[in-house]
Amino acid sequence: MRVLNFTVNGTPRTVHLEEGRVMLASVLRDSLGLTGTKVGCGTGQCGSCTVVMDGKAVTSCTVPAEKAEGTSVLTIESLAEGSVLHPIQQAFVEAGAIQCGFCTPGIVMRLYALFTQNPDADDETIMKELDKHLCRCTGYETIVQAARLAQEKLRAAR
Amino acid sequence: MTLQHVGKNVPRVDSVRKATGEALFVADIVLPRMLHAKVLRAGIPHGKIRSIDTSKASAMPGVKKVVTGQRCGMLFGTCLWDQPPLAVDKVRHAGEPVAVVLAETENQAAAALKEIAVDYEKLPFVLDPVEAAAPGAPLIHEKNGEYRRVDYSVHPIPGSNVFHHYKLRKGNEQEGFAKADVTVEDEFEFPLSSQAPLEPHGAICRFGADGDLEIWASNQAPFVLRDVLADMFGISASKVRVHIPYLGGGFGGKSDVSIEPMVAYAASFVPGYAVKLALTRGEVISGALIGRGMKGRMRIGAKLDGTFTALKAEMYFADGAYGDTGWPVDTVAGHNCTGPYEFPNAIVDVYGVYTNSPSVGAYRGYGHPEGQFMSSRLIDMLARKLDMTPAEIMRKNFLREGRKNALGQTIKKSNGDLFGCLDVVEKALAEEPLPPNDERYIYGKGIASMMKSPKMAANAASCCHVQVNADGSAFVNLAGIEMGQGVHTVFAQMAAEALELPFEKVRIYFDVDTQFSPWEWQTVASMQTYRGGRAIQDACRALVEKAKETAAKVWNCVPGMIAYKEGVCVHPNTGATLSLGALARGFMAANGLTVGEPLAATGWYRVPEITEPDPETGMGNAAGSWTFGAQGCALRVDRRTGEVKILHFASAFDVGKAVNPAATRGQVTGGVVQGMGAALMEKILFTDEGVAKNVTFPAYKIPRLHDAPEKQTVVLLETPNEEGPWSAKPMAEHPIVAVAPTILNALRDATGVEFTALPVTPERILEALKTRKEDK
Repeated sequence: MRVLNFTVNGTPRTVHLEEGRVMLASVLRDSLGLTGTKVGCGTGQCGSCTVVMDGKAVTSCTVPAEKAEGTSVLTIESLAEGSVLHPIQQAFVEAGAIQCGFCTPGIVMRLYALFTQNPDADDETIMKELDKHLCRCTGYETIVQAARLAQEKLRAAR
Repeated sequence: MTLQHVGKNVPRVDSVRKATGEALFVADIVLPRMLHAKVLRAGIPHGKIRSIDTSKASAMPGVKKVVTGQRCGMLFGTCLWDQPPLAVDKVRHAGEPVAVVLAETENQAAAALKEIAVDYEKLPFVLDPVEAAAPGAPLIHEKNGEYRRVDYSVHPIPGSNVFHHYKLRKGNEQEGFAKADVTVEDEFEFPLSSQAPLEPHGAICRFGADGDLEIWASNQAPFVLRDVLADMFGISASKVRVHIPYLGGGFGGKSDVSIEPMVAYAASFVPGYAVKLALTRGEVISGALIGRGMKGRMRIGAKLDGTFTALKAEMYFADGAYGDTGWPVDTVAGHNCTGPYEFPNAIVDVYGVYTNSPSVGAYRGYGHPEGQFMSSRLIDMLARKLDMTPAEIMRKNFLREGRKNALGQTIKKSNGDLFGCLDVVEKALAEEPLPPNDERYIYGKGIASMMKSPKMAANAASCCHVQVNADGSAFVNLAGIEMGQGVHTVFAQMAAEALELPFEKVRIYFDVDTQFSPWEWQTVASMQTYRGGRAIQDACRALVEKAKETAAKVWNCVPGMIAYKEGVCVHPNTGATLSLGALARGFMAANGLTVGEPLAATGWYRVPEITEPDPETGMGNAAGSWTFGAQGCALRVDRRTGEVKILHFASAFDVGKAVNPAATRGQVTGGVVQGMGAALMEKILFTDEGVAKNVTFPAYKIPRLHDAPEKQTVVLLETPNEEGPWSAKPMAEHPIVAVAPTILNALRDATGVEFTALPVTPERILEALKTRKEDK
């Protein structure tokens, strides 16, 4: 049986992979119980399954589990500190950017990767990153507002 | 008293747990002894099943059971019982389930699927509803007309594929058109499309050894689901328990029932095990419910001053392989195809037609976008013919106080202000004049008005249970499903308002469970704020009365003299007070002696006096409420690419009262973008062999951020009325209804081309621009 060794939310993990194709999303959700990562399409198009792998946002439904070997993965479960929300999460709540909430964790993780790497990302860059996600509820207006608010909050905290 | 909670932009009660990923959706749920299901689908659109060999698959590693529909005698439905949980002797669409593998893991189940051998005798298939309704078309249901059905609702034409014919006969066609100075007429097409909630459908079902059935499902209609499953298995509804976790969007695609009977049927073969099925995106489009699929023709007659004299319409709905979820959409499309206008004569025929595609069901707007697409486009054409503006024609014919709609119902002033909505939209568009056309871009503007009325069972109701805790906080329990629209937040606002409590002291039960939740018809038709809100008001009123009764016992006075304010009963003479908390378990004196009932109350609301339409005229008191609105847009077309950019989209709706204006705006901005998808991008395509082909993202294209309008204006009008709680009216599906005609009217303005079929893709625009040049 194949074995995957990697770090998830700061903790080293060993996961036994079953026969056949196993994706990172399935490892996180089914093996590790980290169900905050959502699977909306299975083709990397909707972005709901986005997690941060070695600092980069990836769609975990298209990353074969083997590719995660030795990497460090962050999921939505790592952001809040206890009951204190991460500023990006807080921004989504305040901006009213959450309706059904299925796309939210993926977008939050995408912005986490972006703002960690490039805290002063310009509007165009932010829009380009958000364009990698699908939301069927909001029409994106409040998601854009939340992203800008998140950036402000992160800057203020620096 | 000024409102404390209703009308305020309270943050959503579900947003923190959704931001952290804690909110549970059905795919997140894991039960002990759980098997994973994978479904073998037909792969051909129409055929007889000669044989199914599951022996190899059954022997595969991890496989517990392979279930087929062979010898299954069950049919399920709510008003038309025409569908088996799994294909029995025949497949009627390519995504129809033929076998279900139950295995220890999803991968094992998927591997075993490949080992199932099915031998089919292929039959000719038909996807087009007009062709399917014509004589000589391949018959999809030999028993059409013989199935059990609710006679007064569903009207099949036996020996054909037409399983439902709804007719509306208001006035007289000949007389109406004889009075007309001009007529406009065209053919229209609203294609099959996917509701495309981001969360794929899922269900987990378990039969106990005692025969109890328990199911967790991504479903908008838990009590309908409960009753359908009980009926299908021939067991008591009291043995069926339905749990609904958070829904990752629904838009109608998760209403009534879809995949649940199949999952339950499979689970019935492995009692004691939980069976979990999570659809792939491809299966959401090919193997659950899809929407729209209308081909129609409409004619409008008018006087020279723009006054309508008559409307004649025919609509054919490609409702797919089974009809139970399609027929009510067809009926409603007929009721409402006039749009928000008075037609003294309206003759409408709607045909629900079996076709070899996945079944069509509810999709945001429920028949209204289909019918009003035609009338709103024709009004634009008529305006040009009469040399008037579309707005002038609209104002001439708007429903208003004293006017009669197509069903013969008389509109009241309190039903809403169409004139106000249109004024707002016109003004918003006028504020930003279009740039002149240049070498690259051409610009255009368009408007359309709309109305929507909920389609519901005549006995549809919401029930509410309120209970007070000893600390004075309150539990409010009702079975409205939170699928993104914000219903729990709005419920909490209304309960806090009714009980005069701080918002934090009110908790809405968020996990709906038919074992504990009071009965609710279903979360459809944008009715939760309106009908659920009235149920909350009713329950809270009863609760306060109970509190007063206990207080009266304590003070030895009559309950009627006691005042209630902000969670406290007040004696008018002595000024003594008793809080809800002190009365929660009855009132207990210092020595322990307790009087009065524990504080809990129930309430309910049903939209009064709804009736089914008359079978001959199709008219009657079938609509219980109307929400009116108008929309307009300014757009730009890229001559080189055919791409459309919406520069400004303006919407105005008379919502009676916006309980949470920010959330209401969110409904509008989201609905507009979803409608844009229908107008410009979305259509389910089929291969020459009749198999849906663009079933995954991005092949099935829904709007992304870069597709969204550059700017949206949203204005909410609030005409006071006697019907809604604090005047709040249905407002959720509505923003999608007029979007397609608004955009196509603007495209006509920009390009001079009358588009009448959706979606208007860049390729079609480029093609049309070429033809236009040749014309010149």
